[in-house]
Order: sequence, then structure tokens, then C-alpha cells
Amino acid sequence: MIQITDEILNQYLDGDLNSEEIEQVKSALSGSEKLQRKFNALKIVHDKLSVIKEDEVSSGFTNKLIKQIVNRSVVPKQQKYFIASVATFITILCLVIFGFSISAVISSTSSAAGDSKSVLDSVSGLSEGLVNALQQLFSGAGLSIIGSIFSIIVLISGYFFFEMQKRTKANLGNGQHL
Amino acid sequence: MRNLSDQEIIDSVKRGNDSDYSIIVDKYKNKAFSMLKRMLKNEFDAEEVLQDCFLKAYKSLNAFKGEAKFSTWFYRIVYNTALTRLSSQKRKTESEMTSVEDHFNLESQYVADEIEKKDLSKFVQETITKLPERYSAVITMFYLNEMTIEEISGVMGITVSNVKVMLHRSRNALRDLILKNRLAEELI
Repeated sequence: MIQITDEILNQYLDGDLNSEEIEQVKSALSGSEKLQRKFNALKIVHDKLSVIKEDEVSSGFTNKLIKQIVNRSVVPKQQKYFIASVATFITILCLVIFGFSISAVISSTSSAAGDSKSVLDSVSGLSEGLVNALQQLFSGAGLSIIGSIFSIIVLISGYFFFEMQKRTKANLGNGQHL
Repeated sequence: MRNLSDQEIIDSVKRGNDSDYSIIVDKYKNKAFSMLKRMLKNEFDAEEVLQDCFLKAYKSLNAFKGEAKFSTWFYRIVYNTALTRLSSQKRKTESEMTSVEDHFNLESQYVADEIEKKDLSKFVQETITKLPERYSAVITMFYLNEMTIEEISGVMGITVSNVKVMLHRSRNALRDLILKNRLAEELI
């Protein structure tokens, strides 16, 4: 004979007992008014809990959430485009500088090509020309021009980046007022 | 229009149809909100945390492989986010209380005269919020969200028997309150 504890009554309510145990509980319940009262109260709790109502979120919750999700996915795309465009611009500038250097080297070495006799001489001539070209580019007026171009790029990038951050914060702020 | 399954909706969202996520939100928002409201004991916090949960779930959709039910996966996010919020608020959380062996006393929170004036259904509904957070979560998931004990166990990361203990203990506490205050004398 099992002892009818609160645990057993709960298991009986949930249908977790085997047929033999069920019979024992039924018999115990019919023989004890106190136990019957406890079980009935438990059943009432179970019944009342079974019909509890769900609470509702404020109206417009879904729309605001979806808007926030869409805004969040748009901002990274804008950032990607911005970074890609800045990277492209810098790459093009580097290529221009590199191209200019190469062309300067070639022009300076081509004049001396007739005098060169060995491969070693031409390689050393090329490297010497490259150094000269770079020195020319990064000294005096050349350096000022490059410095100015980079400064402008940094300023423009900084401005757009600041604007984008401001917009991102504004979007996130709007989403938090749900 | 036929009813789409959660998996079909998620696949659609993964393909870039962000607006389809609203179907998921509409389906789960009230049930998750009910659970959060009972755990956090505060409507405003519940809605704020619910928003975080949906955003977290959206960001992690690619990690959802469909091995478990979406509802189980989502409620795990809801439950853990609620616990994180509770601990950040430095409130007494069940996770700090080590095990389900902890006792709680609903009786001390009520004055008999106040209880008698209330409708029994309303009383039960309100009393759930007085339970410790994890207990009210179990009750909400079991009765309102109609989840199985196994699913609740998966959400909470505890054993099936512990979930049962918590469920039974919650029911017993409510029952004792009803019996002691003769709230349903005519029914019993």
C-alpha cells in the first residue's frame, strides 16, 4: 500500500501513476474526507491554471520591432558600401602613385638603357630609379600634394562616418521606445 | 492562405524576407510576454526584455538548425534573457538559490480579507506572479504555453524530475492557500 502524499496526489492528477497505484489512491480518497478535500482543492487549482489568460503586449509592438530589424539590417549595408568606396578610392590613389613611380623609373632608366650591359646593372638601375622617383614624390611639392590629398580623404571619410554613426544611434533610439 | 509552419517561416526569413518574421512575432509575443511578466513582475520590463528576445532570436536564426522545435529554442532565449535581467537588477533569483529544495511561503504575502473579495480564477492568476521566478515560469510554460514537461526541462536546462517537483510544489502552495483561507469551500 502506497502512502498518499502530496506528490502522489499530483502524480494522480497528472495521470503519472500505474493502474495499481491509481486504484490505491482511489480507495484512499474514498476512505478519507480530509484527503478528498485536499485532492479537490488541488483539482480546482489545476482547473483554474488550465484556463489562465495570456497577457497582451502593447499595440504596434510587432510593427515597431520589424521596423527596428529592417533599420538594423539597412545600416550595416550602408556601412559596407561606405567602407568599400573609401577602400576603393585609397586603392586607386595608391595605384596612381605606384604607376607614376614606375613610369618615372622606366623613363629614367630607358635613357640609360643603351649604356647598360648586364641584367644586374639594369636591376640596380631600376631600383635606383625607383628610389629617386619616390624621393621626388615624397619631398617638397610632391609630399605637400600627397599630404593634402590624404588629409582631404580623411576629413571627408570622418564627416561621413560621423553622420552615419549619428543616424545609426537615432535609429536604435527610435527602436527602444517600444 | 494555408498556415505555414514555424520552419517554413524561418526559412523564408533566412532567404531575406524580413517582414515574414512578423508572423513569428505575432504567434509568440503574448505567450512569451505572459511568461516574462510573471517572471519579472513588471510589465514595462517584460516588454523591453521581450523586444530583446525577438531581436536575439532574429540575429541567431542562422544558428537555429531545426533540430528542436522553434518554440523550445525561442522560450530558452526568453527564459535566459529574463534570468539575466533579474540578475542584473540584483534581485533575488532562483538561479542563486541553488536548487528546487528552496521553500517559499505564499501565505505570508496575503491578508485573508483581501483574498476573500477576489474571484478565485483572478486570484490564481494573480498569485502566479507571487511565486519565485522559476516556479512561475514553469506554471506559465505548462499551462499557458501548453508545453510538455520534457520541453520545459529543455528550456530551463534542468531535469524532468526537477520540473515536476517545481510544478507540484507550485500547485501545492496555491492549494494550501485556498484551503487555509476557505476560498473555494463550496466547491470542495
